[in-house]
Amino acid sequence: MNAPLRRTAWAIIFGFAVLVAATVWIQAVAGPGYRDDPRNPRLVTWRVGRERGAIVTADAAVVARSDPNPLDPQTFTRAYPQDALNAHTVGYVSVLFGSRGLERTREADLVSHRDSTISGLLNAVLGGDPRPRGLRLTIDEGLQRTAAEALNGERGSIIALDPTTGAVLASVSTPGFDPNVLVGPDAGLAGQQLDEDPSQPLLHRTIGTTYPPGSSFKIITAAAALETGIAGPSTVFDDPIELELPGTTATIQNYDDDVCVDGSTVSLAEAFVRSCNTTFAALGMLVGGEVLAETADAFGFNQEIPYDLPVLASAFPDPTEFADDPPATAQNALGQRDVRATPMQMGVVAAAIANGGNIMVPYVVADVFTHEGRIESTTEPELWRRAESPATAAVLTDLMEQAVISGTGRNAAVPGVRAAGKTGTAQVTGAAPDVWFVGFAPVDPEPGERQIAVAIVLEDGGPAGETASGGSIAAPIAATLFEAYLK
Amino acid sequence: MTRNTEAVFILAATVLASVGVAMVQFAGGVWLDSEVALTFVSFALAFGALHVAFRLWAPNANTMILPIAAFLTALGTIEVFRIDPELAALQRWWLVFAGAAGAAIVWLLRSSGVAVLRRYRYLFLAAAMVLLMLPLLPESWPMHGAVVNGSRLWVRIDLPFAARDLSFQPGEVAKVFLTVFLASYLADRSEAMSTVSRKVGPFRIPEPRHLGPIIVAAGVAFIVLVYQRDLGASLLLFGLFVGMLYVATGRGFYLGMGLALVTVAGLTAFAMFSHVQVRIEAWLNPFADYAGSGYQTAQGLFAMGSGSLTGSGLGLGRPDLIPAAATDFVFAAIGEELGLAGSIAVIVGYAFLVAIGFGIALRSRDRFRKYLAAGLTILLGLQTFLIIAGIVRLFPITGITLPFMSYGGSSLLASAMIAALLGRISHEERT
Repeated sequence: MNAPLRRTAWAIIFGFAVLVAATVWIQAVAGPGYRDDPRNPRLVTWRVGRERGAIVTADAAVVARSDPNPLDPQTFTRAYPQDALNAHTVGYVSVLFGSRGLERTREADLVSHRDSTISGLLNAVLGGDPRPRGLRLTIDEGLQRTAAEALNGERGSIIALDPTTGAVLASVSTPGFDPNVLVGPDAGLAGQQLDEDPSQPLLHRTIGTTYPPGSSFKIITAAAALETGIAGPSTVFDDPIELELPGTTATIQNYDDDVCVDGSTVSLAEAFVRSCNTTFAALGMLVGGEVLAETADAFGFNQEIPYDLPVLASAFPDPTEFADDPPATAQNALGQRDVRATPMQMGVVAAAIANGGNIMVPYVVADVFTHEGRIESTTEPELWRRAESPATAAVLTDLMEQAVISGTGRNAAVPGVRAAGKTGTAQVTGAAPDVWFVGFAPVDPEPGERQIAVAIVLEDGGPAGETASGGSIAAPIAATLFEAYLK
Repeated sequence: MTRNTEAVFILAATVLASVGVAMVQFAGGVWLDSEVALTFVSFALAFGALHVAFRLWAPNANTMILPIAAFLTALGTIEVFRIDPELAALQRWWLVFAGAAGAAIVWLLRSSGVAVLRRYRYLFLAAAMVLLMLPLLPESWPMHGAVVNGSRLWVRIDLPFAARDLSFQPGEVAKVFLTVFLASYLADRSEAMSTVSRKVGPFRIPEPRHLGPIIVAAGVAFIVLVYQRDLGASLLLFGLFVGMLYVATGRGFYLGMGLALVTVAGLTAFAMFSHVQVRIEAWLNPFADYAGSGYQTAQGLFAMGSGSLTGSGLGLGRPDLIPAAATDFVFAAIGEELGLAGSIAVIVGYAFLVAIGFGIALRSRDRFRKYLAAGLTILLGLQTFLIIAGIVRLFPITGITLPFMSYGGSSLLASAMIAALLGRISHEERT
């Protein structure tokens, strides 16, 4: 009489085996699909609901913080009290749009180390602090505000660096956006509007897009000539109204379609200060694509600049592609044609010259601090590469200082400050020029004195449109920044 | 395994429950408070009482039952605490009460054995019927039925002196009583039911008078389904009846007829009741009406999927997002926080318990004890199967609790009763 009992037992055990199979299916095979389903409310918690550390500026202004969610005590809400001011650098964590900026790249510091894994428990037992870490930025709150106000909502970007350390003092990309709307209740609609906005407010222009650098690239063309000894500051060139390019009917004109100085001859120094296209086109062809490319690479072109955020590589074309094309060489030497640079790249160029030819690794996170505010680790300034010799840097410094004193960069001058810089007015087909100022101040600082290197770009001529030039639009902003930071 | 080993395993499960609660607290930012101590004490009291009762009054009882039950209860306790610490505080009282009740059963049967239950079978039947009907008490009475999640399964007693009313699900205990009745009834009649038959065409069918019990069974199950809207309980009762009839008679006819009746009843219910249609629809396609009827199933799937292989870790998942996570869906909560490893461990734990139960039944020399052990095991196995099958979408959601693990006093009480009775039966077989 045990046979039916045995059969019943086996039937139920078989049922349990089917349960095991179904559970394996649900959790292991179909599991990732359920986990990543957009309707899974855990995604909200994972991305935005956990407590995250605070992010503050160098002078302790709060950029991002986590507040306990009054509706759900298990979760936190992320708030960005400065709204748009540091939105691109700090980024956001959003359910619908994922995470960006430091919120993404420094997530390991910003989230809690508290979990029930073996390592998490060991950490707790050994007295480790599982609470999220905070970040102190190198950003100077006041300078950042000044820079943002100077751009005044025009499409463009400003990067300001400490040349001797690589610390980012200000990093602005405009138009900006308020990260709070992307984590708020109407994030979907707000995100869609930002995404469809033709002025691309979500684009981090400082590191995420490139512009033709125009005449600001003459710094690198001049560096190529100086470093190789092909020309010196007093080397003399012709001063034509227009430069005829070999092999074509095309010509190169100066900015105002006139001679650069007096129509006879012009020294390299004068040509730099006045930004003579004819001279630098001739110089570029003299130096050659090979050396131009080497110099550009030495300054960081064609590489990803190491930073706390991913930086788009700036481009100088492969010299073999235009080896037999002198007009192309000439145009590339002027920072046009195929040359493209991020604002970060040109900021690094300015910082390299200020720092005797050495490029420091740019960084925006100064310290990582614990929940109690104790500093856990500090970013040590680090040399990235040598762009040029100190001698070349000294000559370029002199040329750039002259450009501010008496040349195209006059509007960057600040009384009592020895400023140096180079303007750029990059021609863009079918649009107003992108205008640049690349420079630093003060020249030869006293020990302990602050120094700042900047790159400023405004798309489509900024407020002046077709009539804009780097000297008229970008250089005055540099003066504002020098004034704000140094005085 | 000796009784001392059993004590060690129970202690281990007690520590597991306490450490688990501590881990949940730790994940929530609290470092060790009275909750951990209270968990330890309630666990030690409940399983300590059962263990001591076995030691004193059923010393030859199977030593695996309590350790496995304690292990499952520990996981359940941790998850209930994780989902709602307030429920967990109530659950501690229920656990102590259930442990005491189980110990009391072992004590009551200490000299006369389970055989004494056989004599009072109609008392158990009557008690079961009354318990099953209790939820139908009118709302205006101090003790009244209550509708929870569309099913009228609960009885509430309004206590004038307490802020909370006392709720329980009498059906849980009724199922155990019905098992006792059925075991007793079948022990007397199974001989006749399995041998006397008449031939109709190729089929050998029992005498019509022997069809009585199964018709009663189907009737009770259908009444429960109609009046209490409880698909799970009616299926469970029906499965229990048919299973026990088959075990007692060895006649496939009962299984075939049971299956036929279930099919007919199921189709009728599907045609007649919209809530059954909604359940079936939510089972076949939970995402079709994601925000409505499919919500619970979908949340369970999200939880299980998010848990993946090793789980989020205790206290770090979001099982509280699943409706009824502490009761019907506690298995999904385990799956989320302990992962596939945890959910498989739970299924294996129940499989062991079921295997032990059937082992006790197989070894029983006495008919009543055999049927009782088999019935209790079928009850435990079927209930576990139905609710987990609902969560992993093998079956529609039935809304019954997971024995030992779900929050709920009546469920814990019934589980402790089953453990105590199985222990006592195994003791009697070895003496």
